[in-house]
Amino acid sequence: MTTLIVTPFAPYRDGIATYASQELAYRRQRGEHVEVLSPLPSAAHHHLPLGAAPGWAQLASQYGHYERIIVHFAPGLIFGQCRAPAERLAVWSALAVLARRCALELRIHEIDTDGLASNQLERRAAGVVFRWADRVTVHTRAERDALVDAVGSVAEGAEVIDHGQYFAPRVADDKHAARRELGLDSASFHFVSIGFLQRHKGFDRAVEALTQALRSNAAMSKVALHIVGSARIDHPDIARYVVELRALCRAHPSVTLHERFVSDDEFDLWIAASDAVVLPYREIWSSGVVERARLYGRPIVASDLPQLRDQAPIGTILCNDTAAFAVALEKVWSTEVGVVDLERDLVEDAPPSPVERTGWNVASVERSAIESQIGERARRFDLELSGLDPALVDAQQAAGRRAVDSLLALGHLDRPPATSARPGVASTKKAIRRATDWQVEPLAKHIEALQRATVEAVAALETEIAERLDSPEISSMNLETASAPVRVSEVRAGAVGNPSTNEPNDNA
Amino acid sequence: MSQSQQGSPSSPPEGAIAIVSPRYGEEVVGGAEDVLADLAHGLQARGHAVELLTTCAADHFTWANKYPEGRFVDGELTVRRFRTQIDTPGHNRDRIGARLLAGDAITVQDQQLWVNDSLRCSGMWHHVFDHGHRYRSIIFAPYMFWTTYAVSQIHPRRSLIMPCLHDEPAAGLDIFAAMIEGAGGLLFLTEPERELAQRLYRLPARNTIIGASVDIADSYDPESFRRSYNIEGDYVYFAGRREWGKGWDDLKNAYGVYLQQRGGRRALRLVTSGVGEVIAPLGAESQVLDVGLLSNAQRDNAMAGAAAYVQPSAMESFSRTVLEAMAAGTPVLANGHSDVVSWHLDRSQAGLTYTSGSELVQALHFVTDEPEAAASLAQGGRDYVLANYRLDPVLDRLSIALDNWFPTPTSATHERPLEGVR
Repeated sequence: MTTLIVTPFAPYRDGIATYASQELAYRRQRGEHVEVLSPLPSAAHHHLPLGAAPGWAQLASQYGHYERIIVHFAPGLIFGQCRAPAERLAVWSALAVLARRCALELRIHEIDTDGLASNQLERRAAGVVFRWADRVTVHTRAERDALVDAVGSVAEGAEVIDHGQYFAPRVADDKHAARRELGLDSASFHFVSIGFLQRHKGFDRAVEALTQALRSNAAMSKVALHIVGSARIDHPDIARYVVELRALCRAHPSVTLHERFVSDDEFDLWIAASDAVVLPYREIWSSGVVERARLYGRPIVASDLPQLRDQAPIGTILCNDTAAFAVALEKVWSTEVGVVDLERDLVEDAPPSPVERTGWNVASVERSAIESQIGERARRFDLELSGLDPALVDAQQAAGRRAVDSLLALGHLDRPPATSARPGVASTKKAIRRATDWQVEPLAKHIEALQRATVEAVAALETEIAERLDSPEISSMNLETASAPVRVSEVRAGAVGNPSTNEPNDNA
Repeated sequence: MSQSQQGSPSSPPEGAIAIVSPRYGEEVVGGAEDVLADLAHGLQARGHAVELLTTCAADHFTWANKYPEGRFVDGELTVRRFRTQIDTPGHNRDRIGARLLAGDAITVQDQQLWVNDSLRCSGMWHHVFDHGHRYRSIIFAPYMFWTTYAVSQIHPRRSLIMPCLHDEPAAGLDIFAAMIEGAGGLLFLTEPERELAQRLYRLPARNTIIGASVDIADSYDPESFRRSYNIEGDYVYFAGRREWGKGWDDLKNAYGVYLQQRGGRRALRLVTSGVGEVIAPLGAESQVLDVGLLSNAQRDNAMAGAAAYVQPSAMESFSRTVLEAMAAGTPVLANGHSDVVSWHLDRSQAGLTYTSGSELVQALHFVTDEPEAAASLAQGGRDYVLANYRLDPVLDRLSIALDNWFPTPTSATHERPLEGVR
């Protein structure tokens, strides 16, 4: 089978190019004949100026004879500078032709869901491409959900494939050899955040988190955070972010910004040298760094984003905010006696809950203080079991607000008045309203009914939860059930007593 | 050079040493290419399995595919040729290159556009991608060519880069810093080149000066050269690429001024060999002689017959021709802005440096007016070259580096000390 992979490619270095090189090696090792086409001149066999309809049309006409074409789908590759709806529609149309001509696989790395949501025509055109494509693949369930939201149920058949399926380690160094190679102190504890420097990567959050962790735990000495990467493109937002990041790193002696473009091998060397990899992303689809950390068995502390939640290996500590990152960094460090131990714990156990992520405050060893912490942790644990976010409940309680308040604040659905100061416009608006009322009015009524029902349901749920949390019986009953499990042998012997009275069960 | 084709490419032998050169062939003029060819043949002669990977091009301006693609054997050396791709208009190269020369900061993205908008050789890239793991080590030069930049990063820790570094804006680009800092080892030709690299980069511990070899003739026949080209009277000589980047325009302009100042007095002719178009200064057409490409023997004879050899390039990482002139007993007039050439002359005392066009003009007057004094300058030159730039010591130093950094099961088990050329 002759396969053509359409992708950014080496020697360009970005996540997708690196991914594609590894896929190429993987497929060739299995005897496949694979060629590569890239949008820019590169080491690929072919190149075409993609990113607009003519390029994709040319691909369909000149390369449709390949038995299979795998397109590594990302907005930059597909649409380039195309912004106008007509341009984007033309691109989708050309992709539809391509899907008709050959067995097309769309490997989704990222998709512009906002663009599809705002333009029904484009959404429909995308739906055609996804229907006609031979195979659509994504890397996480969250990505598939986002895809379904973006293009509709046609994307429900998208296959979730392992992001790291084709990945192989590039260096064989153990942690200490990697540190020697990079000139890092072997005795220190090293966190590493690595990748192109841009705001959505959130490296500033890692700096702040480490600062908080160091402040809260004076025992955390010889801990370093290395941020490794460079700005990839010339954009004022990125330039501004890099300036901010430099200043932030300069202000924190435990943090070093290694602002440089690193080779693929050095990239892996940093991961191999680390005690843990920190991915404080503000947004991401799926992450190649997660896979590289997994290859080297390094613990990961990452943002609690849906895609990362799906992709991250067992043991990854997911954090919602800077405070949670700080706690997580401290937790990872505190098990530094041997990262091997930590890794074993992380692999064998389920991910720690938010409560587990919070350390004990032992500044005061008074009994009441400890009990108070125990009570608080129990309450938060219960909230977690109820599926509620303790941080959210706390915030609402602190603000004296109920969840239902925000729904009530929405008010009624106001339709714009059919008035205007401009002559003739008001009567035109009224005419339009009369003409469309038969369609709009039922929708408006339905939305208002939905809002009322939601308010009532949330209010009822809040009351129930409050009652449950305030009820000591519920807690004690659960506790007793857990500490005195019913034994099968006792049931058979009719010797099981009532847990609350310890009396024989007459109904046995 | 006779080459015989060996059919379609096959896998390289396990543990072979690959040497990647942008060009290879008798018509190729290029210092780095010459050094790599010497190393390839030298290592092969010492019993190493060596493959030379190169393009089908001979001209580094057009990169047109002149030689056939495939696997050949040149003497004992396996040569694999791959077709070049020159299929872009070069707009990015020009646009970003102009900004680079103007000293602007260039983003990594633009640096990548720039380096990919010229010669590319995807066949070579895919050969190393598929088979590179079989090579014990892969030696690359010079740093700025796509063949080095793109291909060395497939197996960077197996890559030995001989940067042939010049103090020029491109050397400061992030993409080259990443390549050099991430290399499995670095081979420098001279101490000043390594010092420049230390100023520019965070060098890996594995770096050494191996130097390079120079063809050193046992005897010279300058009269045969004169006879071949009907040259009467004294001349100064320049061999190499006649192009702006090599200082040719500076030499040409200074020579024009020199001729004007000589008036009716005796003047030296300017004889030049190599590649690139030669347009003589106005009124000096009869005094400038382009003899085209010369064989090594004729080049040596041309060197030996010259009143002085002129090296106008500031961008030298080794300056092979300067050493060849010294070996021929000819004094050198060299651009003092080149740290490397100044270093050679400081150590050998076998010539003069200049730092402006006017100084070059006066140096030409000196050689014309005081030929004996000029000739006496060259006395120490040959001994300097013999002591430092013969092939065997260079191969010894390279072999030690290979054994230490890329040992084979049969390599010495103990690291041998690396002593750079002094």
